[in-house]
Amino acid sequence: MRSHLTVLRCLMLSTLLGWFACLPAAAGEVESSGFGAVVIPQPVKPTNASACVEPVDIMRRDHMKFLLHQRDATVLEGERDSKYSLVGCMDCHNATEPAETVVRYPDPQHFCAGCHLYASVKIDCFECHADRSLKQLQQGQLDQPLEDQFPENQPGSALLSLHTFHQQLGDTGGE
Amino acid sequence: MANELDNIELRPARRRFMQSSAALAMTLIAPGVLLYKTGQAQSENEPGSDNKDLPATPRWGLLIDTNALSEADVDACVAACQQEHGWHSDAGSQTAAQWIRKIHLTDKQSGQQTVLPMMCQHCADPPCVDVCPTGASFKRADGIVLVNKHTCIGCRYCMMACPYKARSFIHEVLQDQLAVAPRGKGTVESCTLCVHRIDRDGANAVPACAEAVNRDGRKAILFGDLNDPDSEISQRAKSHGATRLRADLGVDPGVRYRGL
Repeated sequence: MRSHLTVLRCLMLSTLLGWFACLPAAAGEVESSGFGAVVIPQPVKPTNASACVEPVDIMRRDHMKFLLHQRDATVLEGERDSKYSLVGCMDCHNATEPAETVVRYPDPQHFCAGCHLYASVKIDCFECHADRSLKQLQQGQLDQPLEDQFPENQPGSALLSLHTFHQQLGDTGGE
Repeated sequence: MANELDNIELRPARRRFMQSSAALAMTLIAPGVLLYKTGQAQSENEPGSDNKDLPATPRWGLLIDTNALSEADVDACVAACQQEHGWHSDAGSQTAAQWIRKIHLTDKQSGQQTVLPMMCQHCADPPCVDVCPTGASFKRADGIVLVNKHTCIGCRYCMMACPYKARSFIHEVLQDQLAVAPRGKGTVESCTLCVHRIDRDGANAVPACAEAVNRDGRKAILFGDLNDPDSEISQRAKSHGATRLRADLGVDPGVRYRGL
Protein backbone atom coordinates (compact mmCIF):
# COMPACT_ATOMS: atom_id res chain seq x y z
CA MET A 1 0.00 0.00 0.00
CA ARG A 2 2.79 2.35 1.00
CA SER A 3 4.74 1.65 -2.20
CA HIS A 4 1.61 2.34 -4.26
CA LEU A 5 1.32 5.72 -2.61
CA THR A 6 4.99 6.56 -3.26
CA VAL A 7 4.63 5.70 -6.93
CA LEU A 8 1.52 7.84 -7.15
CA ARG A 9 3.29 10.74 -5.49
CA CYS A 10 6.26 10.46 -7.85
CA LEU A 11 3.91 10.38 -10.80
CA MET A 12 2.08 13.51 -9.65
CA LEU A 13 5.30 15.34 -8.91
CA SER A 14 6.80 14.53 -12.29
CA THR A 15 3.60 15.63 -14.03
CA LEU A 16 3.65 18.90 -12.14
CA LEU A 17 7.35 19.49 -12.87
CA GLY A 18 6.84 18.64 -16.50
CA TRP A 19 3.98 21.11 -16.67
CA PHE A 20 6.15 23.88 -15.24
CA ALA A 21 8.98 22.96 -17.61
CA CYS A 22 6.61 23.61 -20.49
CA LEU A 23 5.80 27.09 -19.23
CA PRO A 24 8.60 29.12 -20.84
CA ALA A 25 7.77 27.66 -24.21
CA ALA A 26 4.10 28.41 -23.82
CA ALA A 27 4.50 31.90 -22.36
CA GLY A 28 2.21 34.48 -23.91
CA GLU A 29 0.07 31.84 -25.53
CA VAL A 30 -3.17 30.30 -24.49
CA GLU A 31 -2.37 27.07 -22.72
CA SER A 32 -5.15 24.56 -22.58
CA SER A 33 -5.04 22.40 -19.51
CA GLY A 34 -7.44 20.50 -17.37
CA PHE A 35 -8.13 23.74 -15.50
CA GLY A 36 -9.23 25.73 -18.54
CA ALA A 37 -7.42 28.28 -20.67
CA VAL A 38 -4.52 30.03 -18.91
CA VAL A 39 -2.79 33.02 -20.45
CA ILE A 40 0.66 33.76 -19.14
CA PRO A 41 1.07 37.52 -19.48
CA GLN A 42 4.08 38.79 -21.33
CA PRO A 43 3.56 42.54 -21.52
CA VAL A 44 5.44 44.14 -24.36
CA LYS A 45 7.67 47.07 -23.47
CA PRO A 46 6.82 50.25 -25.32
CA THR A 47 9.29 51.41 -27.91
CA ASN A 48 8.45 55.10 -27.73
CA ALA A 49 9.80 55.72 -24.22
CA SER A 50 12.99 54.80 -22.39
CA ALA A 51 11.56 54.45 -18.88
CA CYS A 52 8.28 54.40 -17.01
CA VAL A 53 7.35 57.15 -14.54
CA GLU A 54 8.62 54.94 -11.69
CA PRO A 55 10.89 51.88 -11.56
CA VAL A 56 9.23 48.77 -12.91
CA ASP A 57 8.99 46.93 -9.59
CA ILE A 58 7.25 49.90 -7.96
CA MET A 59 4.89 50.27 -10.88
CA ARG A 60 3.99 46.59 -10.75
CA ARG A 61 3.05 46.82 -7.11
CA ASP A 62 1.63 50.31 -6.78
CA HIS A 63 0.33 51.54 -10.11
CA MET A 64 -3.25 51.26 -8.88
CA LYS A 65 -2.49 53.45 -5.86
CA PHE A 66 -0.91 56.13 -8.05
CA LEU A 67 -3.88 56.08 -10.41
CA LEU A 68 -6.44 56.16 -7.60
CA HIS A 69 -4.75 59.12 -5.94
CA GLN A 70 -4.34 60.94 -9.23
CA ARG A 71 -7.93 60.45 -10.31
CA ASP A 72 -9.32 62.00 -7.13
CA ALA A 73 -6.88 64.89 -7.25
CA THR A 74 -7.86 65.56 -10.85
CA VAL A 75 -11.62 65.20 -10.60
CA LEU A 76 -12.11 66.89 -7.25
CA GLU A 77 -9.33 69.46 -7.19
CA GLY A 78 -8.50 69.96 -10.84
CA GLU A 79 -4.82 68.95 -10.64
CA ARG A 80 -3.97 67.88 -14.14
CA ASP A 81 -0.17 67.95 -14.13
CA SER A 82 0.34 64.62 -12.39
CA LYS A 83 2.71 62.19 -14.06
CA TYR A 84 0.43 59.34 -13.04
CA SER A 85 -2.37 59.61 -15.54
CA LEU A 86 -4.17 56.84 -17.34
CA VAL A 87 -3.89 58.82 -20.55
CA GLY A 88 -0.14 58.90 -19.98
CA CYS A 89 -0.10 55.11 -19.54
CA MET A 90 -1.90 54.59 -22.83
CA ASP A 91 0.29 57.04 -24.70
CA CYS A 92 3.20 54.64 -24.26
CA HIS A 93 1.64 51.27 -23.57
CA ASN A 94 -0.93 51.31 -26.34
CA ALA A 95 0.28 53.82 -28.86
CA THR A 96 -1.67 54.25 -32.04
CA GLU A 97 1.29 54.07 -34.38
CA PRO A 98 1.55 51.88 -36.28
CA ALA A 99 -2.21 51.44 -36.43
CA GLU A 100 -2.00 47.68 -36.83
CA THR A 101 -0.55 47.26 -33.34
CA VAL A 102 -3.60 48.78 -31.61
CA VAL A 103 -5.27 46.30 -29.32
CA ARG A 104 -8.43 46.66 -27.27
CA TYR A 105 -8.73 46.00 -23.55
CA PRO A 106 -10.76 42.79 -23.98
CA ASP A 107 -7.80 41.41 -25.91
CA PRO A 108 -5.30 39.64 -23.59
CA GLN A 109 -2.53 41.23 -25.65
CA HIS A 110 -3.52 44.64 -24.27
CA PHE A 111 -0.83 45.83 -21.87
CA CYS A 112 -3.24 46.14 -18.93
CA ALA A 113 -5.50 43.24 -19.79
CA GLY A 114 -2.78 40.58 -19.86
CA CYS A 115 -1.92 40.80 -16.16
CA HIS A 116 -5.45 41.70 -15.05
CA LEU A 117 -6.75 38.57 -16.70
CA TYR A 118 -4.00 36.46 -15.17
CA ALA A 119 -4.61 37.90 -11.68
CA SER A 120 -8.40 37.83 -12.01
CA VAL A 121 -8.62 41.58 -11.63
CA LYS A 122 -11.82 43.03 -12.99
CA ILE A 123 -11.48 46.77 -13.33
CA ASP A 124 -13.65 49.14 -15.32
CA CYS A 125 -11.27 51.98 -16.19
CA PHE A 126 -11.83 51.45 -19.87
CA GLU A 127 -15.58 51.69 -19.77
CA CYS A 128 -15.09 55.45 -19.58
CA HIS A 129 -11.46 56.02 -20.54
CA ALA A 130 -10.03 55.26 -23.95
CA ASP A 131 -8.08 51.99 -23.94
CA ARG A 132 -5.49 53.33 -26.34
CA SER A 133 -3.60 56.51 -27.07
CA LEU A 134 -5.76 58.96 -28.94
CA LYS A 135 -3.30 61.63 -29.88
CA GLN A 136 -3.81 60.83 -33.52
CA LEU A 137 -7.57 60.73 -33.23
CA GLN A 138 -7.81 64.09 -31.48
CA GLN A 139 -5.47 65.66 -33.94
CA GLY A 140 -7.64 64.36 -36.76
CA GLN A 141 -10.78 65.62 -35.08
CA LEU A 142 -9.64 69.19 -35.04
CA ASP A 143 -9.56 69.24 -38.83
CA GLN A 144 -12.55 67.05 -39.56
CA PRO A 145 -16.15 68.21 -39.70
CA LEU A 146 -18.29 66.65 -37.03
CA GLU A 147 -20.57 64.62 -39.27
CA ASP A 148 -17.54 62.76 -40.58
CA GLN A 149 -16.40 61.78 -37.11
CA PHE A 150 -19.77 60.56 -35.98
CA PRO A 151 -21.64 59.06 -38.91
CA GLU A 152 -25.26 59.28 -37.83
CA ASN A 153 -27.35 56.26 -36.95
CA GLN A 154 -24.49 53.85 -37.40
CA PRO A 155 -24.66 51.47 -34.51
CA GLY A 156 -21.24 50.77 -33.18
CA SER A 157 -19.67 53.56 -35.20
CA ALA A 158 -17.51 54.36 -32.20
CA LEU A 159 -16.12 50.84 -32.31
CA LEU A 160 -14.10 51.37 -35.47
CA SER A 161 -10.48 50.47 -35.27
CA LEU A 162 -8.10 53.30 -35.90
CA HIS A 163 -7.15 51.68 -39.18
CA THR A 164 -10.73 51.76 -40.40
CA PHE A 165 -11.10 55.23 -38.98
CA HIS A 166 -8.20 56.53 -41.02
CA GLN A 167 -9.51 54.78 -44.07
CA GLN A 168 -12.84 56.49 -43.60
CA LEU A 169 -11.14 59.81 -43.12
CA GLY A 170 -9.27 59.24 -46.33
CA ASP A 171 -12.49 58.35 -48.14
CA THR A 172 -14.42 61.39 -46.98
CA GLY A 173 -11.44 63.65 -47.56
CA GLY A 174 -11.20 62.52 -51.14
CA GLU A 175 -14.73 63.41 -52.02
CA MET B 1 -30.55 92.78 -12.07
CA ALA B 2 -27.12 94.34 -12.02
CA ASN B 3 -27.00 94.75 -8.30
CA GLU B 4 -27.71 91.05 -7.87
CA LEU B 5 -24.10 90.43 -8.79
CA ASP B 6 -22.74 92.79 -6.20
CA ASN B 7 -21.23 90.84 -3.39
CA ILE B 8 -22.18 92.65 -0.24
CA GLU B 9 -19.06 92.31 1.88
CA LEU B 10 -19.28 93.92 5.27
CA ARG B 11 -16.04 95.40 6.46
CA PRO B 12 -14.53 93.43 9.38
CA ALA B 13 -14.82 96.35 11.81
CA ARG B 14 -18.44 96.91 10.87
CA ARG B 15 -19.10 93.18 11.07
CA ARG B 16 -17.63 92.99 14.53
CA PHE B 17 -19.73 95.97 15.59
CA MET B 18 -22.86 94.33 14.21
CA GLN B 19 -22.01 91.08 15.97
CA SER B 20 -21.35 92.71 19.33
CA SER B 21 -24.47 94.83 19.11
CA ALA B 22 -26.44 91.74 18.12
CA ALA B 23 -24.98 89.92 21.14
CA LEU B 24 -25.95 92.83 23.36
CA ALA B 25 -29.46 92.78 21.96
CA MET B 26 -29.62 89.04 22.62
CA THR B 27 -28.58 89.56 26.23
CA LEU B 28 -31.33 92.06 26.69
CA ILE B 29 -34.02 90.16 24.84
CA ALA B 30 -33.35 86.47 25.29
CA PRO B 31 -30.51 85.51 27.67
CA GLY B 32 -30.84 81.81 26.74
CA VAL B 33 -29.73 82.52 23.18
CA LEU B 34 -26.57 84.32 24.29
CA LEU B 35 -24.39 81.23 24.59
CA TYR B 36 -25.27 80.13 21.11
CA LYS B 37 -24.65 83.58 19.67
CA THR B 38 -21.25 84.13 21.28
CA GLY B 39 -20.18 80.61 20.41
CA GLN B 40 -20.91 81.29 16.79
CA ALA B 41 -19.08 84.61 16.86
CA GLN B 42 -15.99 83.00 18.36
CA SER B 43 -15.84 80.26 15.78
CA GLU B 44 -16.03 82.89 13.07
CA ASN B 45 -13.05 84.70 14.54
CA GLU B 46 -10.86 81.60 14.68
CA PRO B 47 -7.81 81.66 12.43
CA GLY B 48 -8.53 79.82 9.21
CA SER B 49 -12.21 80.56 9.20
CA ASP B 50 -11.62 84.22 8.44
CA ASN B 51 -10.92 84.48 4.74
CA LYS B 52 -9.78 88.07 4.57
CA ASP B 53 -6.08 87.17 4.34
CA LEU B 54 -6.51 84.32 1.92
CA PRO B 55 -6.74 84.84 -1.83
CA ALA B 56 -10.39 85.01 -2.80
CA THR B 57 -11.75 81.81 -4.29
CA PRO B 58 -13.00 82.42 -7.80
CA ARG B 59 -16.46 81.50 -8.87
CA TRP B 60 -16.46 80.76 -12.56
CA GLY B 61 -19.48 81.69 -14.58
CA LEU B 62 -20.75 82.68 -17.98
CA LEU B 63 -22.58 85.74 -19.19
CA ILE B 64 -24.51 84.91 -22.34
CA ASP B 65 -25.69 87.82 -24.45
CA THR B 66 -28.78 86.49 -26.22
CA ASN B 67 -29.03 89.68 -28.29
CA ALA B 68 -25.76 88.80 -29.98
CA LEU B 69 -26.62 85.15 -30.62
CA SER B 70 -28.38 84.01 -33.76
CA GLU B 71 -29.82 80.54 -34.11
CA ALA B 72 -26.76 79.55 -36.17
CA ASP B 73 -24.55 80.77 -33.35
CA VAL B 74 -26.30 78.55 -30.84
CA ASP B 75 -25.96 75.62 -33.23
CA ALA B 76 -22.26 76.45 -33.43
CA CYS B 77 -22.07 76.34 -29.62
CA VAL B 78 -23.59 72.88 -29.57
CA ALA B 79 -21.33 71.61 -32.34
CA ALA B 80 -18.24 73.03 -30.65
CA CYS B 81 -19.16 71.32 -27.37
CA GLN B 82 -19.70 68.04 -29.18
CA GLN B 83 -16.34 68.34 -30.89
CA GLU B 84 -14.55 69.31 -27.70
CA HIS B 85 -15.95 66.48 -25.59
CA GLY B 86 -16.70 63.82 -28.18
CA TRP B 87 -20.43 63.43 -27.63
CA HIS B 88 -23.14 63.48 -30.22
CA SER B 89 -26.88 63.20 -30.16
CA ASP B 90 -29.34 61.95 -32.70
CA ALA B 91 -32.06 64.48 -33.35
CA GLY B 92 -35.33 63.57 -31.68
CA SER B 93 -33.83 60.88 -29.48
CA GLN B 94 -35.27 60.78 -25.97
CA THR B 95 -32.05 59.44 -24.53
CA ALA B 96 -29.53 61.60 -26.35
CA ALA B 97 -26.58 63.20 -24.61
CA GLN B 98 -27.29 66.84 -23.84
CA TRP B 99 -24.37 68.77 -22.50
CA ILE B 100 -25.75 71.87 -24.17
CA ARG B 101 -28.91 72.41 -26.17
CA LYS B 102 -30.79 75.04 -28.06
CA ILE B 103 -33.83 76.64 -26.44
CA HIS B 104 -36.47 78.81 -28.10
CA LEU B 105 -38.25 81.30 -25.92
CA THR B 106 -41.32 83.25 -26.97
CA ASP B 107 -42.60 86.18 -24.98
CA LYS B 108 -46.34 85.63 -24.89
CA GLN B 109 -47.25 89.29 -24.83
CA SER B 110 -44.95 90.75 -27.43
CA GLY B 111 -44.30 87.59 -29.41
CA GLN B 112 -40.57 88.28 -29.23
CA GLN B 113 -38.54 85.19 -30.08
CA THR B 114 -35.26 84.46 -28.34
CA VAL B 115 -32.92 81.58 -28.92
CA LEU B 116 -30.40 80.68 -26.27
CA PRO B 117 -27.98 77.92 -25.36
CA MET B 118 -28.95 75.94 -22.26
CA MET B 119 -26.50 73.93 -20.25
CA CYS B 120 -25.61 73.17 -16.64
CA GLN B 121 -26.10 76.47 -14.84
CA HIS B 122 -23.42 75.70 -12.22
CA CYS B 123 -25.63 76.74 -9.34
CA ALA B 124 -24.27 78.01 -6.05
CA ASP B 125 -26.82 75.76 -4.31
CA PRO B 126 -27.15 72.92 -6.79
CA PRO B 127 -30.17 70.63 -6.24
CA CYS B 128 -28.34 67.83 -8.05
CA VAL B 129 -25.69 67.82 -5.32
CA ASP B 130 -28.35 67.82 -2.60
CA VAL B 131 -30.01 64.67 -3.88
CA CYS B 132 -26.99 62.60 -4.94
CA PRO B 133 -26.87 59.48 -2.73
CA THR B 134 -23.16 58.80 -3.29
CA GLY B 135 -21.68 62.28 -3.38
CA ALA B 136 -20.76 61.81 -7.03
CA SER B 137 -22.56 64.99 -7.97
CA PHE B 138 -20.44 67.69 -6.41
CA LYS B 139 -19.48 71.33 -6.57
CA ARG B 140 -15.83 72.21 -6.85
CA ALA B 141 -14.32 74.93 -4.70
CA ASP B 142 -14.42 77.26 -7.71
CA GLY B 143 -18.14 76.75 -8.21
CA ILE B 144 -18.08 74.28 -11.09
CA VAL B 145 -20.69 71.55 -10.67
CA LEU B 146 -19.47 68.18 -11.90
CA VAL B 147 -20.26 64.48 -11.84
CA ASN B 148 -17.53 62.29 -10.38
CA LYS B 149 -18.12 59.30 -12.62
CA HIS B 150 -15.94 57.14 -10.40
CA THR B 151 -18.64 57.23 -7.75
CA CYS B 152 -21.75 57.79 -9.89
CA ILE B 153 -24.06 54.79 -9.74
CA GLY B 154 -26.38 56.02 -12.46
CA CYS B 155 -29.49 56.43 -10.31
CA ARG B 156 -30.40 59.66 -12.14
CA TYR B 157 -31.84 61.44 -9.12
CA CYS B 158 -29.81 64.48 -10.15
CA MET B 159 -31.46 64.50 -13.56
CA MET B 160 -34.85 64.66 -11.87
CA ALA B 161 -33.71 67.31 -9.40
CA CYS B 162 -32.21 69.65 -11.97
CA PRO B 163 -34.71 72.41 -12.80
CA TYR B 164 -32.85 73.14 -16.05
CA LYS B 165 -32.87 69.58 -17.42
CA ALA B 166 -29.17 70.01 -17.89
CA ARG B 167 -28.08 66.44 -17.30
CA SER B 168 -28.29 63.32 -19.42
CA PHE B 169 -27.55 59.65 -18.96
CA ILE B 170 -25.33 57.45 -21.08
CA HIS B 171 -27.24 54.40 -22.27
CA GLU B 172 -24.75 52.82 -24.65
CA VAL B 173 -21.32 51.28 -24.36
CA LEU B 174 -18.77 53.80 -25.62
CA GLN B 175 -15.25 53.50 -26.89
CA ASP B 176 -12.48 55.94 -27.83
CA GLN B 177 -13.63 58.68 -25.53
CA LEU B 178 -11.50 61.81 -25.56
CA ALA B 179 -8.89 62.34 -22.87
CA VAL B 180 -10.52 65.55 -21.66
CA ALA B 181 -13.96 63.96 -21.28
CA PRO B 182 -13.98 60.36 -20.07
CA ARG B 183 -17.58 59.14 -20.23
CA GLY B 184 -19.17 55.73 -20.10
CA LYS B 185 -22.35 53.74 -19.91
CA GLY B 186 -24.33 53.97 -16.70
CA THR B 187 -23.22 57.42 -15.60
CA VAL B 188 -24.78 60.87 -15.74
CA GLU B 189 -23.04 63.71 -17.49
CA SER B 190 -23.46 67.41 -18.11
CA CYS B 191 -21.63 70.59 -19.07
CA THR B 192 -18.30 70.83 -17.24
CA LEU B 193 -17.77 74.50 -18.13
CA CYS B 194 -14.76 73.10 -20.04
CA VAL B 195 -13.07 72.43 -16.73
CA HIS B 196 -9.95 71.04 -18.43
CA ARG B 197 -9.41 74.41 -20.09
CA ILE B 198 -10.04 76.26 -16.83
CA ASP B 199 -7.53 74.08 -14.97
CA ARG B 200 -5.02 74.86 -17.68
CA ASP B 201 -5.65 78.56 -18.34
CA GLY B 202 -7.37 79.86 -15.21
CA ALA B 203 -9.15 83.18 -15.67
CA ASN B 204 -7.97 83.37 -19.28
CA ALA B 205 -9.76 80.16 -20.22
CA VAL B 206 -12.34 80.25 -22.97
CA PRO B 207 -14.91 77.43 -22.97
CA ALA B 208 -15.49 75.75 -26.31
CA CYS B 209 -18.97 77.23 -26.77
CA ALA B 210 -17.65 80.73 -26.17
CA GLU B 211 -14.77 80.13 -28.54
CA ALA B 212 -17.23 79.14 -31.25
CA VAL B 213 -19.24 82.37 -31.14
CA ASN B 214 -16.79 85.03 -29.97
CA ARG B 215 -15.50 86.41 -33.24
CA ASP B 216 -14.15 89.81 -34.24
CA GLY B 217 -13.82 91.07 -30.69
CA ARG B 218 -17.49 90.36 -29.99
CA LYS B 219 -18.12 88.56 -26.73
CA ALA B 220 -21.50 86.90 -27.00
CA ILE B 221 -20.51 84.38 -24.32
CA LEU B 222 -18.22 85.78 -21.67
CA PHE B 223 -16.38 83.57 -19.21
CA GLY B 224 -15.04 84.94 -15.96
CA ASP B 225 -14.88 85.14 -12.20
CA LEU B 226 -18.18 86.23 -10.70
CA ASN B 227 -16.57 86.74 -7.29
CA ASP B 228 -14.13 89.33 -8.60
CA PRO B 229 -15.92 92.69 -8.86
CA ASP B 230 -13.24 93.95 -11.27
CA SER B 231 -13.48 91.06 -13.71
CA GLU B 232 -14.93 91.77 -17.14
CA ILE B 233 -17.91 89.54 -16.54
CA SER B 234 -18.80 91.33 -13.30
CA GLN B 235 -18.32 94.73 -14.90
CA ARG B 236 -20.50 93.85 -17.86
CA ALA B 237 -23.15 92.35 -15.63
CA LYS B 238 -23.10 95.57 -13.65
CA SER B 239 -23.41 97.85 -16.65
CA HIS B 240 -25.66 95.78 -18.90
CA GLY B 241 -27.55 93.51 -16.54
CA ALA B 242 -27.54 89.77 -16.05
CA THR B 243 -30.57 87.55 -15.57
CA ARG B 244 -30.58 84.30 -13.69
CA LEU B 245 -32.99 81.81 -15.23
CA ARG B 246 -35.68 80.82 -12.75
CA ALA B 247 -34.17 83.08 -10.12
CA ASP B 248 -37.26 82.31 -8.03
CA LEU B 249 -35.84 78.86 -7.27
CA GLY B 250 -33.02 80.42 -5.29
CA VAL B 251 -30.30 78.13 -6.64
CA ASP B 252 -28.18 81.08 -7.82
CA PRO B 253 -26.97 79.87 -11.23
CA GLY B 254 -23.46 80.85 -12.32
CA VAL B 255 -24.57 81.00 -15.94
CA ARG B 256 -26.34 84.28 -16.54
CA TYR B 257 -28.15 85.73 -19.50
CA ARG B 258 -28.53 89.15 -20.95
CA GLY B 259 -31.40 90.29 -23.16
CA LEU B 260 -34.15 88.15 -21.67
